[in-house]
Amino acid sequence: MSTRSTLAKVKNDIYQPYLARIVKVLPQIQDHLLFQLKFEDPRMASNFTHRPGQFVELSVIGSGEAPVSISSSPTRPGIVELCVRKTGRVTNALFRLPLNALVGVRGPYGNGFPIDKLEDNNLLIIAGGLGMAPLRSLLWYALDNRTKFKDIILMLGAKTPGEILFKYELLKLIDRPDMKCLLTVDKDEEGIWKAHFGVVTKLFDYVELDPATTYAALCGPPIMYKFVLKELLKRNFSKDRILMSLERKMKCGVGKCGHCSIGYKYTCIDGPIFTYWDAINLPEMVE
Amino acid sequence: MVKPKIGIFGLTGCAGEQIMILNCEDQLIDILGAIDIRYFPTAMTKNDEECELDIAFVEGAVVQPKDEELLKKIRQRSKLLIAIGTCAVWGGLPAMRNDVPREEFLEKVYGTKGKSFKSIPAQPLKNFVKVDLSISGCPIEKEQFLKAVASLLHGDLPLLPSYAVCTECKMNEYVCMLVGENKLCLGPITIAGCGARCPGYNIPCHGCRGPVDEANVASEVKILKEKGFTLRDIENRLRSFAAQAEILQEQFKKE
Amino acid sequence: MLFYQNLRRDLVKTMQILKLDKKNLNEFIFSLNDFGEVHAPVKKGDKQFVFSKLTDFSKIKLEYTRTILPPKKYFHPPTDTLFKFSQEEGYQSLTEELRKKYVIFGLHPCDIYAIKILDLIFAGEFVDDRYFIRRKNVAIIGLDCIPDDKCFCRSMRADFVEDGFDLFLSDIGNSYLVRVGTGRGDDMVRKTQDLFKEVNKKDITEYKRRSDEKKNLFKVDIELSDLPEIMDLEYESKVWEEIGKECLSCGSCSMVCPTCYCYDVFDEINLDANHGVRKRQWDSCLFKDYALVAGGHNFRAERSLRVKNRFFHKQRGFVAQYGRPSCVGCGRCIEACPAKIDIIEVINRIRGAKL
Repeated sequence: MSTRSTLAKVKNDIYQPYLARIVKVLPQIQDHLLFQLKFEDPRMASNFTHRPGQFVELSVIGSGEAPVSISSSPTRPGIVELCVRKTGRVTNALFRLPLNALVGVRGPYGNGFPIDKLEDNNLLIIAGGLGMAPLRSLLWYALDNRTKFKDIILMLGAKTPGEILFKYELLKLIDRPDMKCLLTVDKDEEGIWKAHFGVVTKLFDYVELDPATTYAALCGPPIMYKFVLKELLKRNFSKDRILMSLERKMKCGVGKCGHCSIGYKYTCIDGPIFTYWDAINLPEMVE
Repeated sequence: MVKPKIGIFGLTGCAGEQIMILNCEDQLIDILGAIDIRYFPTAMTKNDEECELDIAFVEGAVVQPKDEELLKKIRQRSKLLIAIGTCAVWGGLPAMRNDVPREEFLEKVYGTKGKSFKSIPAQPLKNFVKVDLSISGCPIEKEQFLKAVASLLHGDLPLLPSYAVCTECKMNEYVCMLVGENKLCLGPITIAGCGARCPGYNIPCHGCRGPVDEANVASEVKILKEKGFTLRDIENRLRSFAAQAEILQEQFKKE
Repeated sequence: MLFYQNLRRDLVKTMQILKLDKKNLNEFIFSLNDFGEVHAPVKKGDKQFVFSKLTDFSKIKLEYTRTILPPKKYFHPPTDTLFKFSQEEGYQSLTEELRKKYVIFGLHPCDIYAIKILDLIFAGEFVDDRYFIRRKNVAIIGLDCIPDDKCFCRSMRADFVEDGFDLFLSDIGNSYLVRVGTGRGDDMVRKTQDLFKEVNKKDITEYKRRSDEKKNLFKVDIELSDLPEIMDLEYESKVWEEIGKECLSCGSCSMVCPTCYCYDVFDEINLDANHGVRKRQWDSCLFKDYALVAGGHNFRAERSLRVKNRFFHKQRGFVAQYGRPSCVGCGRCIEACPAKIDIIEVINRIRGAKL
């Protein structure tokens, strides 16, 4: 345990937020907005890149900092898209900001999806609720690198059509011949929904999956995990081929502040993407 | 930018919170530059009794029917109602002995003339109206008040500590009054924000800021009993500032 | 190649051991002022100690047991202002006060070991330079000690340190053996060269005798070898609930722990609603809000889960990450806990020992 090597590495401030401008705000569902951010420093704007599944620490000047997963794909650089739910102090402050206001951004953080492993495989993306926010990055990464992946399947479940994030974007994918986009809702009071009804696990009936060549990427509420995991295991998916994006309280994003610890790991640097195998082998991970 | 309209009110209390606000001498000019004080009778002669307010700061406990009446009127005219001081947040000193009928007190203090007063058991504001934020303390801490005003001006609800006085006591590296000095210290169950002011002067925490959420009162009482304090002494201290707090009431009912 | 081998041998030799007569200690400490503001253990209250700026030599308590706060306060202060900010200028790093130089005199091995553990945490993939700038500017002079009834550093294998200090003083009667650990330590010694003498055979014999004797002075002991497995096996143990009933969530144990590093981050804005500062402040995993996310879900809502997490992270999680517990056995949490939650007793209970 020598300390000498670590003392030499000091060079910059890992907590430094960089200014970014809100260039566009796209309303999503209720209390959810998609913010398009552009770094003020042109070098940052062109150099910033990330892996799908990673997140940034977003600062609203004067209100604080919060982790937000990146919804845009690294295949479309220049703009960082964050889909934010108005829920806490920082996000409430963000929603008050006018267009063109400056915010602070640092990152990207977290492991992100293991893209290298996913390539040359079938990709099954399963989303529920706000879970589409990090998965959208993966989806567009795969579609923009279409030849690197075998089959691409998206399964998304929501209570109503009005609660589907990126609804219009996803509806357009239904007609796309090079992927399968399966959207389902519990109910549709307006009576205009033309896609599927029922829980997300029902969508498994419409696909054929080869567990040996497929990776499943999941993000959604705990109840969704419970049923989807059961379904995947029933279909002989290896626990290593099931990837989950997990949420915990975070402050620093860089493995120092302690808040996001689960058992022996930090969600911020060891996650937020964990295999199901990791999940069941860490105390506290899945409730 | 339009300055927010502010009212500073006092129900039954010692006006300590209002004095504390006036004591922010170095910042008063800045405060006045940033807000439009419409009602503050302790400090001003011209007060607007009717206008809508963005924020009302209310000190004191509800002890008389007219307190309740005023409080409800304040609530109606204010977007945000903020309880300041332990009396407003917890009932404070006036609520120490709500188990004794008010008539007894009135007679003891005012003799037969006490009959002309109307008094009800002292209660915190939250028992009557929705309280948007509570800044406790007897009196409130200047710094906390100023930070709260600044936060509100920025549009955020202020961040207040949710941990106990012990945490601040340790951060300041004060000598522990409870473990080290065996004094009747309520630090472990009292909400921080004072910077452990009393332990810093070798005085145990009397709990003037009220209990933390989910305070482990049973464990605190057990610890104090083991140190040789009587249940009466312990409960008297617990009653001093926040006797009406539910978490303390549970303890009083127990034994 | 030979050149480097020789150089390496020379470097190893610089870990030299000298002797300082006790009557020269004050003069030596006085000379340390050239290396930074000298801090040393002094008394606070009747029974406690703190590391504090040394103003009077007679105030040093060389025989102190443990200080209220560990030396982490010099590298990771209770509250640290990270940035100033404004809408126009964004976030500007505040580094001024990081540059202040200190010499802390009298750290016990457990505290030095704890700093080495903090180093691991603040290094890694993302290096926390605020911590390491301070770290570089603080010289450390260790001092050996006599264990009391709360010390279990030997069980935690932190009763002896081979590095992590500039100088380390071991009592051998009328003088100290002084181990020089760094170039800065060497500078300190050379500055007052006349005060130091060569070590002789008798000194070595005396050092070994005292070192042996110390091993037998420990009154408490934890068996460490299979502890991680036992903690896994007893994850659902009732013991955690029992301790949860006693724990006050007061945070004392975390604050005084030399390896607890968790912090909260928040912004403080000025009355102009534009300028302000971003701060970080010590936090504790025992606090109710510690794992509470925006939106209201609390991943550790129950006190027993929080208590369990703290012990787990120290004695189990850290082993998985770094190969050893992050506890160094300094005894501060035992001394500070109002509810008398004693880590040694907790581990013995988990191990199923009859009490």
